[in-house]
Amino acid sequence: MQDAMTMLQENLAIFAPLIAVQIILSVLALVSLFRTDETNGPKWMWALIILFINTLGPIAYFIFGRRGDV
Amino acid sequence: MQWLTIFRKECLESTRNFKWMWVPLVFILLCIVDPLTTYYLPQILEATGGLPEGSTFEIPTPPPAQVMMMSVVQMNTIGILILALITMGTIAGEKKAGIAELVLVKPVSYLSYVTAKWAAYSLIILASVFVGLLASWYYVNLLFGELAFSSMLVTFLFYGLWMVFLLGISLFMNTLTKSPGLTLFFTMSATIFLSAVSGMLSHLFEWSPAQLTAHLNTYLASGSLPDVIWGATAITIAAIALLLFLATITLKKKELA
Amino acid sequence: MIEVRELTKVYEKEKAVDHLSFTLPEKRCVALLGPNGAGKTTTLKMIAGLITPSSGQVIIEGSHKQDIRPYIGYLPQHPHFYNWMSGKEFLIYVGQLAHLTKKEAKQRADVLLERVGIADAKNRRIGKYSGGMKQRLGIAQAMIHQPKVLMLDEPVSALDPIGRRDVLNLMNELKKETTILYSTHILSDAEEMSDEILLLHKGKAVESGSLEDVKQRHQVQKISLKFSHDLAVYQKRLESLAFVTKSEVEKHVLSLYVTNIQEAREFLLAKASKEKWPLTQFEIGQITLEDLFLKVVNTNAVADHIS
Repeated sequence: MQDAMTMLQENLAIFAPLIAVQIILSVLALVSLFRTDETNGPKWMWALIILFINTLGPIAYFIFGRRGDV
Repeated sequence: MQWLTIFRKECLESTRNFKWMWVPLVFILLCIVDPLTTYYLPQILEATGGLPEGSTFEIPTPPPAQVMMMSVVQMNTIGILILALITMGTIAGEKKAGIAELVLVKPVSYLSYVTAKWAAYSLIILASVFVGLLASWYYVNLLFGELAFSSMLVTFLFYGLWMVFLLGISLFMNTLTKSPGLTLFFTMSATIFLSAVSGMLSHLFEWSPAQLTAHLNTYLASGSLPDVIWGATAITIAAIALLLFLATITLKKKELA
Repeated sequence: MIEVRELTKVYEKEKAVDHLSFTLPEKRCVALLGPNGAGKTTTLKMIAGLITPSSGQVIIEGSHKQDIRPYIGYLPQHPHFYNWMSGKEFLIYVGQLAHLTKKEAKQRADVLLERVGIADAKNRRIGKYSGGMKQRLGIAQAMIHQPKVLMLDEPVSALDPIGRRDVLNLMNELKKETTILYSTHILSDAEEMSDEILLLHKGKAVESGSLEDVKQRHQVQKISLKFSHDLAVYQKRLESLAFVTKSEVEKHVLSLYVTNIQEAREFLLAKASKEKWPLTQFEIGQITLEDLFLKVVNTNAVADHIS
């Protein structure tokens, strides 16, 4: 575990874009969640999914979360 | 004029529902996962204690072009699924909700309706493939050694063509049913079937659209384009035209009742 | 000006619409009546070009056009819109689809939004509209390209009484400038709104024409009386009169079927005033659309049963 942390620190230049993309994705999903009228299932549930399930959470929200997309 | 109206509306819709943002981002992630994990594989194995004490394990570093091919393979599975998911309702959903009724009762050309939607989604998917490959190219150069930018561009052109062909399949499937779920199922089934048959009987199907990725693999390994890729390109373009034409016909035939 | 000739739609052996012919004269409001499954929606969709007829044709201004969509404005029974668009955006979009330029579409959208009374919500997302507002937007989108014929499928049946009244008023105004063909199963609306009716039953037109003519044709020799008390006594007395063929009581109203309405009327009124009958209501014959509807449908049902 210690190794993993140091590895991450040493290679910040490499991991930064990856982390940035994941953060942007989550933020976008949250903005969309905030603005949408109706979701499939409660909004707070989607908020938790977006925040705590890395990458797949926001994607799942974008594909299945919103109702009346069209 | 009317075509542009529909095209613009599709683009506006994809902007408002964030497709223009999240799809490219997901493609970037798809394309950089493999370069990163491949590069860090030794450390990951060590950190997770996957190897018995004292054993040495030599993992050869793959050549840069091969790493980019890994990105293509990633897009070819999850990327295609995302493509099918974001387009599964574009016509089927509009028919199901009854919006198609309002739109198609106006003097709209069915061909414009189908092709403008196809073009709008093509734009998103091509942009996503492009930024994905660009990110992959960046990491390949950073971690594995030099790869010419032109190799990335060539990969984009041929892989983009295959993706745009898949959009043609999805649009066609959209006109067969009112159910987005069924459209997704049809699109994925057709894609898997075509890929499997073309792969198994590759000597017979070397001009199949599904073989474009195989030809790209050859290109990235050898550095020169195999001749068959041009045949496959021609067939793919013709198939796209045919699919869109058939989609127009079925949309007109299948009643919106 | 719009003529429907022998329009037929067959679904798996069942005839949804069966050799239907009629004409829509200019600037008339025609109600398409009939029980559920009579073929009203199918008829409208065929005229709108959304369903291909099995046979027959729709003729506009004397010629058979390949594509009649430019001449037609259509509002489906349950209109759905792009919820992410604003009302104005949607109107501009469909306006452009109907070959208006962007500028024309914008102007037309503003006029119509004002007209149907949702101008102050024009920049709001359609997803936030109420049912009544969506129905008005639906009418506006049907009018966007100034069609010759406006076709509305059950335009008021899903609305609350206030929304219903608003839409009816709107239709009343619109019929001054365009031909309206609308389906409904609410007979009082048809009676109030339409110049002509077309009564469908099992895909066939069983009655058609102007409301007055149709009523005339089905005129009954009937007088209805309502008494504040002693109904039974009066029924007994009156049914024995020579000109009364039949009597019945429904909801405290005594109906007398008579041989000569003039004679009966004079006789009864004279008697009533002389004997000071406790009358609260006195009505001559007029068949209501509801009676007519039931009569025609039942007659046909019986005929079907026998055959």
